[in-house]
Amino acid sequence: MTSLTRDVAFVGVGYSELSRAGAANPRALTFAAVSEALTDAGLTGADVDGIFEYRFGPESPSAQEVARLIGAIDLAAFADIFATGPSGLASALAGAMAVASGVCETVVVYRCMTREAGYMGGMVGGGEQYSDQNQFLFPYGYLGGIIVNMAMAKQRWLAQYGRTEEDFGHLAINARRWAGLNPRAMLRDPLTMDDYLSSRYVVDPLRLLDCDYPINGSVATIITTAERARDLRQKPVILDAMSYGTGQECDWVFGTDFLYGGTVPCAERLWSRSSVTQADVDVSEIYDGFTTVQAQWIEALGFCGIGEFGDWIGDGSRLGPGGDSPMNTAGGQLSEGRLHGISFLNEAILQVRGQCDQRQVP
Amino acid sequence: MTAEAEQVAQDLRPRPLPNESNRFYWEAAREHRLVLQRCDACHQFQYPPDVVCVHCQSLAMTPTAVSGKGVLYSFATVDRAFHPGFSDQLPYVVALVDLDEQPHLRMLTNIVECSASDLFVGMPLEVTFEDRETITMPQFRPQSGPA
Repeated sequence: MTSLTRDVAFVGVGYSELSRAGAANPRALTFAAVSEALTDAGLTGADVDGIFEYRFGPESPSAQEVARLIGAIDLAAFADIFATGPSGLASALAGAMAVASGVCETVVVYRCMTREAGYMGGMVGGGEQYSDQNQFLFPYGYLGGIIVNMAMAKQRWLAQYGRTEEDFGHLAINARRWAGLNPRAMLRDPLTMDDYLSSRYVVDPLRLLDCDYPINGSVATIITTAERARDLRQKPVILDAMSYGTGQECDWVFGTDFLYGGTVPCAERLWSRSSVTQADVDVSEIYDGFTTVQAQWIEALGFCGIGEFGDWIGDGSRLGPGGDSPMNTAGGQLSEGRLHGISFLNEAILQVRGQCDQRQVP
Repeated sequence: MTAEAEQVAQDLRPRPLPNESNRFYWEAAREHRLVLQRCDACHQFQYPPDVVCVHCQSLAMTPTAVSGKGVLYSFATVDRAFHPGFSDQLPYVVALVDLDEQPHLRMLTNIVECSASDLFVGMPLEVTFEDRETITMPQFRPQSGPA
């Protein structure tokens, strides 16, 4: 029994080849990921009546393009979600809402990412004028996407809680430990705390190893009703609850809660709608675009209290294989690669199915 | 090219384009005054200037001077340029400053007249003004003298 109108199930997962080097072809990457997901589910493009995708720009083909590539007959709903919301996971949440509401029966969701699109350090521009609210940010050199924001969040976190960077280092080390067990992951060699503390600053105090690893790749998931899922190839994985959060006076910089953003209200809403509690969680896949974001989620979701992450993380081993809070079992975006959200969903689906091989949490 | 035109041509930093809702702010800054919207209904200040009071949705707001005093909430030091306009500014500090007038009344700014290594969260700051060719940007520096 869920909080949604119809019970929703995840029934197929797919990945394209992941790469670091070379030119990326978003149409090819996405077709590969979506095809694999459809095959995994025992479905074809003709079965699909909804497509949702998230993008920054041309690094991801549009829902209509993918409909053409996979041979969808007609779509009952579709959307291209642009750049705001819970990253690539936004497409999965939109797809889940479409199925739960009865608007769609079988939905494909995907996120295609290229290394170029995932990299925030590129130098662009000259003398532009901004009539929107960016006029209060860009002239001060607040540029490079959210990278300066993340650096200020780390600075504030360390000062507010009187902690040191080792807390975040444990997250980077854990991601790499799990990635070592994942043949798909891009970065698989173990990390030491010395490696973390000596990695260069991207924007002081944010280090390179606090940030995820831009790659080329596409990830896809198939979503349908729990009822339909019973006739398909894989053990259905049922959606129990979903939530977004924004916080008040919603803004990356000027919102009421700079340090936690929308994570705290999102978690409150999630647990209020869920049939399980935080104590029931056996394995978690927590967004790690930046180590600070992962720490914010750990507190907001109730693994520990607000401000307690530093004490809770200990030597980091509790997050690893055999620990009491196994987390980011594919290596996260820090080490598997920056696939921007749906990769966490897919790994969670594979864990519930028991298909994670060496990474499987019992 | 005149010397002035050369200077304008050389400053590649992004620029504000004032609109009806925020022109008062930029005009005050040009006169070296920090002036924010204060809501006639709920009496709160807001930043950045906007088309409505984001606290209570009143459209009635009055431009009101603030003291320019604040506290450093957080900061980060940029030492590689994300934009050609900042290539000769490196390293520079981007900061969040909480103004004394109201909790969470926060501005994003640079910290000037201070070495990055002397900065600490909680440091008392005061506004100063950086004249660029076509616009003046409020900035913040360490407070001088007693707070």
